[in-house]
Amino acid sequence: MSNDYIISWKVAGIALGLLLILATALVKPLGVSTQFVVTDAIVTHQVAPGFAESNEYLAKYGEKTDWSVGYGWMLVFGMLVGGGITAMLFRQKQPEQDKGSMPKMWRDQFGNSTFKRNSAAFFGGMLLLFGARLAGGCTSGHMISGISQLALSSFIFGVVTFGAAIMMAKFLYRDRAL
Amino acid sequence: MDTLIIGFLIGCAFGAILYLGGATSYRRILGTLLLKDMWIIKLMATAIGVGSLGIYLLDLGNLAHMSIKPAYVWGVAAGGAIFGIGWAISGYCPGTCVVGASEGKRDAMFTLLGALCGAFVFSLVFPTLEAVLMQNANFGAITLESMLGVSGIYLAIPFSAALLFLAFFVLKDQYE
Repeated sequence: MSNDYIISWKVAGIALGLLLILATALVKPLGVSTQFVVTDAIVTHQVAPGFAESNEYLAKYGEKTDWSVGYGWMLVFGMLVGGGITAMLFRQKQPEQDKGSMPKMWRDQFGNSTFKRNSAAFFGGMLLLFGARLAGGCTSGHMISGISQLALSSFIFGVVTFGAAIMMAKFLYRDRAL
Repeated sequence: MDTLIIGFLIGCAFGAILYLGGATSYRRILGTLLLKDMWIIKLMATAIGVGSLGIYLLDLGNLAHMSIKPAYVWGVAAGGAIFGIGWAISGYCPGTCVVGASEGKRDAMFTLLGALCGAFVFSLVFPTLEAVLMQNANFGAITLESMLGVSGIYLAIPFSAALLFLAFFVLKDQYE
């Protein structure tokens, strides 16, 4: 199992915990999902400014002249840059089964269709952000940052999210022993 | 240093950790959700264990810039359920789809696009949902600290210890 990972969950987990402490000391904890709305607001204000103004939710996250690109948006932009650079540097160390756009597990269960995989990825993405905005956060903001701060809402989110995700995963792979 | 630059640098490190730690890996995510490969849950429990202790130590010196989300029970629970289903279907969460897209995974790019659309759809129905699910049963931004009336550090120490014990000694991969 020597090339089953690049860094172990222990190293990644400790590093992520330390990064969360640093972020909380300097500015505020980690969070991602709000920035999808900020991005939507930026685009909508360009394409259909009248609609953006009349949409109560989008209007909260940016104006035509002020895009509200702040700490949070730069953080997500940084993930894109940092993730991309790291991926380039460590590509040859990445486990074979984690490379590419068609996971082996998915292919074994649902077949070779790229259209099917990408449709599921798109639809899943819609549910992710709809749910995250309703709940007020996602894996980073609610689970990692929120539970670390012992927030009641984040404990509720964590329990319900894992419960629903485990049931859905068991349903998708119901006829398969891993 | 400028807050924007700090945000960018923290994001770079966040992206790098998620990539290197295998958090963008479909087999790891689904493995955890099928309760077979505990990698992701062990990673998260370790991060929360370290983070919780550190944040409440910072808080002792009033150095923690906390951000507590309000507990509107129905909205958080409904949102969590929808989020969980999307997580299992796509194999990504909002952060890992960004990193997955950055490493060139096309399915992650589709999740990213879907996520932008999902946020837009939410903005269309926000007024209705807010009235029904987000304003009722809202207990505000409360933590176990304020609920139990105990200084947070006394909760964070045993909580962190329990999570780290769970990650390092209890959770084991289950292969058949």
